[in-house]
Amino acid sequence: MNKTPSKQSWWLRLVEWVDGDREPKDQTLFVMEQRPPRHVQRSDAEFATQDKHRLHRFRRWYPVCAVLICLALMGILMAAVLTMPTFGEADNPINNEVAEHYLEYGLEETGSANVVTAMILSYRGFDTLGESCVLFLAVAAVMMLLLRDEKNTDEHDQQKQEREDGILAAHPDLILRRAAWVLVPFVFLFALYVLLNGEVSPGGGFSGGTILGAGLILYSAAYGPKQMRVLMDARRYAAVRTFGLVLYVLLYGIYIFLGANQMPNYLTGMTLLIDLAVGLVVACTVYGFYVLFSRGEF
Amino acid sequence: MLETILQNRFAVTAVILFGIGFMNLLLQQNLLKKVVGFNIMDSAVFLLLASLGYIDGGVAPIVGDRGFDPLYINPIPSGLVLTGIVVSVSITAFSLALIQRIYRRYGTIELWELLERAGKEDD
Repeated sequence: MNKTPSKQSWWLRLVEWVDGDREPKDQTLFVMEQRPPRHVQRSDAEFATQDKHRLHRFRRWYPVCAVLICLALMGILMAAVLTMPTFGEADNPINNEVAEHYLEYGLEETGSANVVTAMILSYRGFDTLGESCVLFLAVAAVMMLLLRDEKNTDEHDQQKQEREDGILAAHPDLILRRAAWVLVPFVFLFALYVLLNGEVSPGGGFSGGTILGAGLILYSAAYGPKQMRVLMDARRYAAVRTFGLVLYVLLYGIYIFLGANQMPNYLTGMTLLIDLAVGLVVACTVYGFYVLFSRGEF
Repeated sequence: MLETILQNRFAVTAVILFGIGFMNLLLQQNLLKKVVGFNIMDSAVFLLLASLGYIDGGVAPIVGDRGFDPLYINPIPSGLVLTGIVVSVSITAFSLALIQRIYRRYGTIELWELLERAGKEDD
């Protein structure tokens, strides 16, 4: 703003303006004129020191801010938690009619005595479909990042891998091998038991699939990749993985179609089959993670 | 106050665990330890969810001919925890794979060192 030094000159200016003797100063132009002249572009060194300074300041204040944010968050959460309904009461708001319905009609409507299995495979089957897709995509993403092939493996890595394989082949771990020879059949048996009994006892696709994957991992760790390739190579692995997901989609599609059109469901044990499909997907995921992280190839 | 904390002991434990995990996530410089912190946070959420569905004296929700009518716990939070665990496993695997790639590229997984090296390569 144009501050007049005295009342007199301000009055004179106004009179001049009213008389039309002179235009008032253009304010914006005036501001532009008052600006200090622009500096020439700062040099790279100056930029670097400024960046360093800024980074230094950030590093000093970051822990303080982090602790403050964390404490604030914990305070809010604690305040929320302390007003929650008491733990373990039967008439808590979470135990509403949905849970009651599942418990009361679950066996009748889905044919599965384990209500959790009934819920995740029938009532909330789309949710489980999403989960299976998440697992499938997780393996795909890890594969994208870690899979070794001709393009991203240089000579050095290749030789190192071959050397390690040679050492493993020359000196097999006898204890691990013997233990695996005894244990692997039982692990597979137990996995099948858990998979097939998901309807009537604790268990189901996710736990059974994890046990199955653990058995595969044990076998692969004991007998090495060469032996494992006989059982499951990259092509077969991809086929099984996709087959599990497609089987799930097909079966659940039929299941939903039958249920939505009030058609009689003659396919008893449908949940069992869906359970098996989920188990396949989960087993492939667990085993795939192990293989990709340990070796990067099948 | 103490009574309330004791009554909601699982939720309070979950909040403390969440805080520990969050602190780890923010303050650790090692990327692997950050992932561990993230997993602790996950566990806290699962603990809270699973404890919400419990009913005192309840049994596992496997309906069958038991000859008596027991009090079943709420099956819904269990199913939700299952979903959460699956997502947590996937995210963990993906971030570990990313960290492995970062290590192969830059030779370190310490955050500040990594930033410095990446900045040097940019120039």
